[in-house]
Amino acid sequence: MLNISELSFTYGKAGSPWTIKDLSLSVGKNEIVSILGASGCGKSTLLNLIAGLLLAQTGKIELSESDKSKQKIGYIFQHDPLFPWQNVEKNLQLSLKLGKAPSKEWIDKHIEQYFKLFHLDKQVLKKFPQELSGGMRQRVSIIQALLFNPQLLLLDEPFSALDFYTKLCLEDEFFQLVKEQNKAALLVTHDIEEAIAMSDRILIMSKNGSFSNEFILDFATESRLPSTVRSSSKFAQYYGQIWSELKAVIAQ
Amino acid sequence: MKLLFLYPLPLIIFIAIWHFLTVGQPDRQFIFSSPSQVLNTCFSLLKSGELVHQTGVTVFEALCGFIFGTVIGSFLGLSMWYSRTVAKIAKPYITAIATIPIFALAPIIIVWFGIGILSKVMLAFLSTVTVSIVQSYQGAMSVEPRFLRLMKVVGASRWQTFKHVVIPSSLIWVINAMKLSIGLALLGAFIGEFISAEEGLGYMIVKASGLYDMSTVLTGVIALAAIALFLTGIVDQIEKRLLKQ
Ligand SMILES: Nc1ncnc2c1ncn2[C@@H]1O[C@H](COP(=O)(O)OP(=O)(O)OP(=O)(O)O)[C@@H](O)[C@H]1O
Ligand SMILES: [Mg+2]
Repeated sequence: MLNISELSFTYGKAGSPWTIKDLSLSVGKNEIVSILGASGCGKSTLLNLIAGLLLAQTGKIELSESDKSKQKIGYIFQHDPLFPWQNVEKNLQLSLKLGKAPSKEWIDKHIEQYFKLFHLDKQVLKKFPQELSGGMRQRVSIIQALLFNPQLLLLDEPFSALDFYTKLCLEDEFFQLVKEQNKAALLVTHDIEEAIAMSDRILIMSKNGSFSNEFILDFATESRLPSTVRSSSKFAQYYGQIWSELKAVIAQ
Repeated sequence: MKLLFLYPLPLIIFIAIWHFLTVGQPDRQFIFSSPSQVLNTCFSLLKSGELVHQTGVTVFEALCGFIFGTVIGSFLGLSMWYSRTVAKIAKPYITAIATIPIFALAPIIIVWFGIGILSKVMLAFLSTVTVSIVQSYQGAMSVEPRFLRLMKVVGASRWQTFKHVVIPSSLIWVINAMKLSIGLALLGAFIGEFISAEEGLGYMIVKASGLYDMSTVLTGVIALAAIALFLTGIVDQIEKRLLKQ
């Protein structure tokens, strides 16, 4: 789905220190990959590069998708980009207005489906973003991104502003969605537990702009859900390993 | 409910004092007129149709200048979002024009556009258009970055971004510009009439003050205040309509 090789990027002029250096990464269909790393090591920069908001100096970013016209990337930010001058329904119709959704019927059908999945009430449609709670807003902004039908979802600390309970619910809802719809997700977070609960793989990013280590998580349970694995014995084991690796990276 | 009663209170007190200080004192009335004289003049000017005519002329000039100024100014200001270069070059000129007092331009405008209505419309227009350009451009430039980022990620064209993000999020700035410039438009029209005109409230006031006809001068002033209230009322309505949806 996503293939990155030998990517390097700097915000400064040629010759200034690299923010991203010789970074390689691949994310497959159906896969959720998390990136952990010290603050300022370049995680958001990497997502912006993948989303096309920044241009890398060297290296390649490939997104494989058979249908070229399809929306490839959905980006979910920490602070949702919902327009305050429109109600939720109009906000969700953005993809239609931009000519990126097949029809009004398609949008309505999927809004209904996603509202069920994310446990949102229909009345929310007529409200304005500023009338919603943080958790509701973040759900709506995820749905807005999904209505562009992207194949790869980029998430930059999407749940960090939410209370713990809302976060747990959203993790489960989002996890199911990616798996059921055969999408892929790249998640940046500061929350080790969230990363373990959600991911198939965890990458540790070091301060020199590439990945220093990779953890493949294998809970091997039939009904794997972020909320259920949190109580498994493997969870604590992974936590210990990842934390000691992360400590080393942060201390660099 | 209680407040509604209190609104006219200052006015009533003022008129009462004015009345008691001038009643039965012709020499004072010559300078300050009096409520009853103003009321009489008002009625006779209304009867003859002159007050309605002069007020109508001034309102027409101010409104024409205001509408053209707001539409053209907002259009120019918002479209400057499209080109950084144009915006950069235009900025000092706009700032310069915006800071020139309209008084300084009035004589030239009257020479160029004559002493008729057109020169007053131009003065009202000039007062409005600069404010509109500056405000709407600032509005366009202060769109929240996260909105622009969203549009970029989903592959929206520049025009789509302009239409769906820049215009709606600048609307509040355009409306604020309107609030500011409606008064300026009235002032522009009035100054034009004051300097040289054959009709309008400014003309009526200048002529009457030359004749020491204080009642007519004050009637004109009251009419101006009424226009100002009426025009800001219109803008308030527009604001309510636009920001409600
Ligand atoms: N627009 C920019 N211009 C110049 N430098 C920038 C810019 N954005 C980020 N940087 C720098 O690039 C480095 C990486 O920033 P980035 O935002 O990618 O970090 P991060 O890993 O997402 O951090 P955090 O976990 O705190 O969000 C930082 O040193 C930051 O100062
Ligand atoms: Mg970041």
